[in-house]
Amino acid sequence: MSTSFASFTPPSSTVVFLLAGGVGSRLNVLVQSRAKPAVPFGGLYRIIDFSLSNVMNSGLEQVGVLTQYKPLSLMNHLGNGSAWDMSGRTRGVKVLPPRTGSHDSDWYQGTADAVRQNLDFLKGHPSTEVVILSGDHIYQMDLEQMLAFHRSKEADITVAMMEVDIAKIHQFGTGITDAEDRIVEWEEKPEKPRTNLASMGIYVFSTSYLLSTLARDRLEIDFGMHIIPRAVEQDNVFAYRFHGYWRDVGTIPALWEANMDLLRPDSGISPQGWGIRSNPEAAGLVADRCPARFAAGCKVAGSLIAAGCRVEGEVINSVLSPGVVVGPGAVVRDSVIFADCRVGAGAVVDLAILDKRVQVGREAIVGEGDNLHTPNHLHPKHLYTGITLIGKRAVIPERAVIGRNCIVNTDAKLSSGAIVATGETV
Amino acid sequence: MKLKHGTLAMILAGGRVDELNVLTYYRPKSAVPFGGLYRIIDFSLSNLMNSGLERVGILSQYRNFSLINHIGSGSAWDMVGRYRGISVLPPFMGSENSSWYRGSADAVAQNLDFVQYHKPEVVMLLSGDHVYHMDYRQLIDYHRGRDADLTMAFVQVPRERAHRFGVAALDGEDGSLGGRVLAYWEKPPKPEHDWASMTIFCFKPEALYAELAREGHENFEFGRDIIPRMVAEGRRVYGYKFGDYWGYTRTVEEYWQTSMDLLGPRPPIRIEEWGLRTNLEHRDIRDYQPLRVGSSAEISDSLVYNGCEVEGKVERSILFPGVKVGPGATVKDSVIFFDTKIGAEVRLDKVISDVNVIFEPGCRVGRPEGEAAGGATVVGWSNVVPAGVEIGGAVTLYPHLKKSKLAARIKGGEVVK
Repeated sequence: MSTSFASFTPPSSTVVFLLAGGVGSRLNVLVQSRAKPAVPFGGLYRIIDFSLSNVMNSGLEQVGVLTQYKPLSLMNHLGNGSAWDMSGRTRGVKVLPPRTGSHDSDWYQGTADAVRQNLDFLKGHPSTEVVILSGDHIYQMDLEQMLAFHRSKEADITVAMMEVDIAKIHQFGTGITDAEDRIVEWEEKPEKPRTNLASMGIYVFSTSYLLSTLARDRLEIDFGMHIIPRAVEQDNVFAYRFHGYWRDVGTIPALWEANMDLLRPDSGISPQGWGIRSNPEAAGLVADRCPARFAAGCKVAGSLIAAGCRVEGEVINSVLSPGVVVGPGAVVRDSVIFADCRVGAGAVVDLAILDKRVQVGREAIVGEGDNLHTPNHLHPKHLYTGITLIGKRAVIPERAVIGRNCIVNTDAKLSSGAIVATGETV
Repeated sequence: MKLKHGTLAMILAGGRVDELNVLTYYRPKSAVPFGGLYRIIDFSLSNLMNSGLERVGILSQYRNFSLINHIGSGSAWDMVGRYRGISVLPPFMGSENSSWYRGSADAVAQNLDFVQYHKPEVVMLLSGDHVYHMDYRQLIDYHRGRDADLTMAFVQVPRERAHRFGVAALDGEDGSLGGRVLAYWEKPPKPEHDWASMTIFCFKPEALYAELAREGHENFEFGRDIIPRMVAEGRRVYGYKFGDYWGYTRTVEEYWQTSMDLLGPRPPIRIEEWGLRTNLEHRDIRDYQPLRVGSSAEISDSLVYNGCEVEGKVERSILFPGVKVGPGATVKDSVIFFDTKIGAEVRLDKVISDVNVIFEPGCRVGRPEGEAAGGATVVGWSNVVPAGVEIGGAVTLYPHLKKSKLAARIKGGEVVK
């Protein structure tokens, strides 16, 4: 009997495609210079950390990140993958941007198209199953359990699904299941809901099935719209039921709500308890931050405060990313503040999201008045709950007053004492 | 352009200092936690990184595990690369020599092959247990400019405290920059000068090799054996004057005082500016979420790192990652290491608690209420202080005590083993 090294093939494993291509335009100025999965969340994290950590904690080792929109911030964040223990002989994270080539010469047209354009990556890592998931949800899930379910059902495709509020079902792909959790009917974003079982955009495919179905018709560019509906009609598609905290934070109100959920221990969200990791060596360099400093006379309640903050004033019911400075007499309330913002002495930030490095001058007010319900005039569908949004590096000068549902664009510099009425955009 | 730096740095991180008591029970002094996140050796390592000196050997023999774990690959201080690296150098068995390090100079002598392999232009020796921020390049420039055999860094200390250090008489050759060392005394009982050695030495390699090879002399300690001899024999020994903060932590009281120097409106230790780094993989610091502050919490003049949960009152204190302060608890003038849990209604005043201690609800530890003076109470790691127990000021609790030892009331100043 002879064995030769030439015959050695690496053990088969599961390949993961993380869909991180979304523009997420409803996040407005927060996605002006970064993809949605790279949007900061919960003080120390980015949205994609939740999916990546789920992959890590499930023991999956080969990840392709499909991205095409403003990928720089995302690529910086991913680094070599070692933050999620994904560098090693059998482990790796690869960023897979669109490429030109004799056959593949276009931007990704949709989720299925993006995977189709990266079949070389898939074939390069022998696998029996492929996990396809979205990089822009906040949740914890054991994908190994879902894979076990998929195998036990001998499914071609397994779709992770959960029950959602029936009023919101029109935003999702929905499935009607039989007693065995086989999906017998599929409706993508139905206007008249027949079920409250929604797709979470997490799929397990048997690799051979994925390869054959993608080869069938190049015009089938989207999993939810094309691939899954036809598979439900013709093949074996099962629903894997998920129970627990799961949020799509693709809108400003949803992003704010999920951050506020972090402040309530009973909300079910717990990044540390879930084993969520971020990359402390990536942009913003959490690794260079010292402990948060609380001055004598400060007041902090019901908040999450990351390392490197300095609080002299008041912080109530808010989430502060690393390096935020809250000056003496300043008040930050019901707000989400990204890294390295400065809130000057006596200033007020109320019900606002501040992107990185925003400077709020002395005695300025961000979020003024009781009128929470006049939406933003320019983007009424983005801001309508009272949240004011301040873009990266914007400078709010001394004694400026900004109302509710306002947008101050990235790098905007207002003049001293400026007044921005509720619903206005600068 | 120069790819390779000519300086090799050796950190003397070996020692256990008895006065630090239970804090060095399981770790060398250089691995003692400090400042809410760091280990004391991080100050030296970060100074090296920020000075661009990234070829480092660490001499260590006491309870290495914590230190080796902490150093990891060295990447936390950017010391992984073609000409960058940290090597931990424990004592070893050899055909010619096998003994523990008998002192700072002996440790270097036993690793002379490591030193010579790197063909350094300057050999810099540091101790890993001081709290300060220094650009070593200025020291090295001064050393090279004076063509010195040895340049030492000195800092001015109150004369009544100088007896605990090496003390030099410096001439005024270079004014505030430094001067020739005219005389040197190691720990003189009655010091006549106030320039104390920071135990930072820059050697010309040949001078170092020659001194370590001297026969008929004891060559175990730089401060006791080698430096006085070099000065007495007229070698070119220079002193570089350092004018900024220098914190030392040789006793529990000094450790506490140096920790308090991190607090206040204008703290002398400016950690925000010093560019400090630590290894976030050590104790999985990186896996903690941001500090969670409860709705009834009060935090004042304190440093608190990620992973803490505060419901009670924290005043003039330093909380390391994972510390929990329950509702109604008061933590005052205290330093609380990693993952210690402080239950509801607990009162801690001037307490240094090591890692994984549990203070059960309602216990009272440390300085009695209303008392301003008095020493710190030190609680060794993995102790459980039972509910309702009262422990006085300046008490020492050894690590991992049996519950029966902590059942009763413990008076001020006692040592419980």
